[in-house]
Amino acid sequence: MESFDVIVIGAGHAGCEAAWAAAQQGCSVGICTLGLETVALMPCNPAVGGTAKGHLVREIDALGGLMGRAIDATGIQFKLLNRSRGPAVWSPRAQADKRAYGAWVRSTLSSHPCIEWLIRRAGRVLVHQGRVRGLEFEDGSAVACRSLIVTTGTFLNGLVHVGDEQRPAGRADEPPSHHLAESLRSFGLTIGRLKTGTPPRLDRRSIDLSTFSESSGDTPIVPFSFATRSLVRDQVACHIVHTTPAVHDVVRRNIARSPLYNGQIRGIGPRYCPSLEDKVMRFADRERHQIFLEPEGRDVDEIYVNGLSMSLPRDVQEDVVHALPGLENARVLRHGYAVEYDFVQPTELEGSLEVRRVPGLFLAGQINGTSGYEEAAAQGLMAGLNAGRAVRGEPAVVLRREEAYIGVLVDDLITRGCLEPYRMFTSRAEHRLLLRIDNADLRLTPVARGVGLIDDERWEWFSERRERLERNRTTATSRSVVVDGERMSAAQALARPPVTIESIEAHGVMFEVDSLRGDVDRGTLLADFKYGGYLRRHEAQLARTRADEARRIPQDFTYAAVPGLSREVVERLSSVRPATIGQAARVPGVTPAAVAIVAARVARHA
Amino acid sequence: MFSTSDTIVAIATPAGHGGIGIVRLSGPAAVETAARMTGRRRPFTPREATLAMVRDRTEVTRPIIDQVIVTWFQAPASYTGEDVVEMGAHGSPIVLRQIVARAMEEGARLAEPGEFTLRAYLNGRIDLVQAEAVADLIDAVTPLQARAAADQLDGTLTTAIGGIDAALFDLAARLEASLDFPDEGFHFIAQETAAADLDTIGARLDALVRDGRRGRMIREGATVVIAGRPNAGKSSLFNALAGADRAIVSRVPGTTRDVLTERVDLDGVPVTLVDTAGLRQAEGEVEAEGVSRARKAIEVARLVLVVVDGSVPLAAEDREGIAWTGSKRLVAISKSDLPAAWAGPDDAVVGADAVRVSAQTGDGLALLRAAIVSALTGEGPRADTPAMSNVRHVALADEARASVQRAQAALVSGATEELVLAELTAARSALEAIVGRRAPDDLLHHIFGRFCIGK
Repeated sequence: MESFDVIVIGAGHAGCEAAWAAAQQGCSVGICTLGLETVALMPCNPAVGGTAKGHLVREIDALGGLMGRAIDATGIQFKLLNRSRGPAVWSPRAQADKRAYGAWVRSTLSSHPCIEWLIRRAGRVLVHQGRVRGLEFEDGSAVACRSLIVTTGTFLNGLVHVGDEQRPAGRADEPPSHHLAESLRSFGLTIGRLKTGTPPRLDRRSIDLSTFSESSGDTPIVPFSFATRSLVRDQVACHIVHTTPAVHDVVRRNIARSPLYNGQIRGIGPRYCPSLEDKVMRFADRERHQIFLEPEGRDVDEIYVNGLSMSLPRDVQEDVVHALPGLENARVLRHGYAVEYDFVQPTELEGSLEVRRVPGLFLAGQINGTSGYEEAAAQGLMAGLNAGRAVRGEPAVVLRREEAYIGVLVDDLITRGCLEPYRMFTSRAEHRLLLRIDNADLRLTPVARGVGLIDDERWEWFSERRERLERNRTTATSRSVVVDGERMSAAQALARPPVTIESIEAHGVMFEVDSLRGDVDRGTLLADFKYGGYLRRHEAQLARTRADEARRIPQDFTYAAVPGLSREVVERLSSVRPATIGQAARVPGVTPAAVAIVAARVARHA
Repeated sequence: MFSTSDTIVAIATPAGHGGIGIVRLSGPAAVETAARMTGRRRPFTPREATLAMVRDRTEVTRPIIDQVIVTWFQAPASYTGEDVVEMGAHGSPIVLRQIVARAMEEGARLAEPGEFTLRAYLNGRIDLVQAEAVADLIDAVTPLQARAAADQLDGTLTTAIGGIDAALFDLAARLEASLDFPDEGFHFIAQETAAADLDTIGARLDALVRDGRRGRMIREGATVVIAGRPNAGKSSLFNALAGADRAIVSRVPGTTRDVLTERVDLDGVPVTLVDTAGLRQAEGEVEAEGVSRARKAIEVARLVLVVVDGSVPLAAEDREGIAWTGSKRLVAISKSDLPAAWAGPDDAVVGADAVRVSAQTGDGLALLRAAIVSALTGEGPRADTPAMSNVRHVALADEARASVQRAQAALVSGATEELVLAELTAARSALEAIVGRRAPDDLLHHIFGRFCIGK
């Protein structure tokens, strides 16, 4: 039987990062997908990044992942969101050329000597003596592996809805996975059902885009990847249109034909990405909603109608589109749809993203209840990293909440589970001021270097940057400037809100920055001094957090044997099986006193 | 979660006036903290009472806060199993609070409800049966319930703090939304609105903290003694006042079988109700002790509620009791559900301000409560913000206020939302420690419930 160290099922954003991270460690990797044309596909919006998501991409990049480099190579419009606010919430976002993006990732993976494509339909997870041993395909053939990563997105028992049309599909017209879903169910995993949706696509040739207001990219461009030296590109514009009462009328008149409103769909959808039906029905007082017309690529005629996700019947979708001012004659190339799919409740996972009950089986992406390419890619990278480490018998890498958004993401998933599709927001990070795009490399690149994900060239550049930062910090504390008639150190001046690095440099105190990527050097320096006071005041709290995270709970710890814990608390802790005292405190329904008792018990038995 | 390695402090005796109050410190730095509070150089001797002065540190003259008896119980032979220092002070709640505040200045942390007992349990000093208070904490499904079980916050104060907490939460949600959804095409909150909201919240917290600090005697929990001859209906009335849709603040078994106290909130005024034995001549020794205690209680009480039975003729003892309690008495004529046996308020001895009441039917209870409040405060029922009587709440509200002030300063100086929010998060965390924690997702729920966000 053919054999790999790691098999990845699915070649979406999670699968591609997983394969890459495993291969970078020297593992032999097989990626199982239905076809090469859907590798790193963007089935929904043609964009990468955004608030908190842009942070995830920077972190993926700092860990040696693909997404940042892929979008820098193929993006067609770049913006830095929240520029008017502080450096902690600056977030890059880019419009993607979908085809170019997929092609870049595909060829990068293909050129890796350790990666092999397996163009077959996955069927059943092979388990022997409680451990994953391989994968059986639907055609009956099989391959052996030591770690298996499942990244099947919306394909598990996927069901697509367009009005009253329903068809089993994982994405538009691609057939879903029933056998694999059955196989996962047979392990006794808790499975739930979620829903997501996508808007119609329009033909650019049927629209006069010059009638709409434009939204264009930033110049100069702030790249996603630390490795991108410079990024100069011709950028394309997006266009803005607003819904009108006439549009809302069409929706209201036909609401009974929406599967979301007539009971046909039972899965829970994301509230941060409401369907047009929800916008009109739940926010009836809003007179209009903003819609973006986004090109799906530079030389592509398909236009993505961002903000118009719906599952109304095809004729109603056309009426809705034609009711939008300026789109009276627009041709609908593809209709919007909703898709319901199975997901595995992520409380079944360890921090490594390994399924607790099935050693060797890892899950990443939408199968864990998340939504978004970036969330999927981040999990894929961590699953690939840890699957590779498991092959060599090395301990898992689990990022902490105060260390990375990826840490917040994984911890939220495995500790709290999902009730609706999970999207990252900056407000989910309690240590937001520490988790910035400018310092993603400072936080994570040393970690990645230690586990073999960062090459020498990148490490050298990073090391130089770190030394440069130290010199700049010394400059800021030793040189003085006069601000508002007061003499103070540059560091003190920078703590004042309106003072920027540039205004300090205008006083003649010059900092040493990378000739091409000054954004990174300046960002870190600015954040250091803007947030310094606050961060110092919270150092004690942070130290407590770190201490709680360092207190490990043995994996065979028996909660039922602790006197005094209520049955509910015992049940919750037994099902989540927190790895640390800090995590135990975040399990919903577990009181501080219960945690203190567990901590004391653990300490006594250590 | 609780840290179990720092030094905690709290008032260990029940709230309200008592002859003596005890402040308890527990933890590794308990002795050192006590030494600094009293400015004492010579070490304390374990299990030996030492007279010392706790002085105010903030004022130049370093005035004495109180003269205290310090006793050190050395670990592990103490209640919690850690070093414990107890300071016996005069019973005034203001003094006790100041002593606690001094301990906090020296680095002690205010104990969470039930935390001394929790530590005793964690250190194997008591078993769980003894630690029933802790069991309640552990079993409580939500932190709010845990809080209610241990803290017994009165209803009106919860509403007041809850209101501030809700305003703060809504402001934080709007600011968060503007950070997480910058390209939605509308403003979640204008800078001026945020500043104005923050000012209002700051002012409300100020008022709350100031009220808590000022600590007018009445708000510290005036003691009201219920007296009267046996079977006049004292106990029923006591229970009716304590129970009837009022929050019970704490249940403290009396030091003898004859005195029972209950902390209740009467129209916003915290009151310690004391049920006494009868006032007649004692026959047995035990009863004599009870009567003597009752008389003592009456001496220190702010108000004596003399209960006389309206269904049987007024006895000489009743008249005696009324006359003896003098100006600080209020008369309740009980059992108004039964046929009246005498003139009631028309009787010259009882007086026209007497209140007819039935513990059985609840008739007249509201009137009686109002009469008690009015007698205590010299004014009508209080409608404004009630004061915080719990030292833990004062400290938390103070912490919230400090964070809000920093947020205001940040906003004024032009800092952007994420920095303002970092301060507001700290403020919210302090208030939620009083009114109950929210789940991390609640903020996003609030945003999505209010605004149509997303594409």
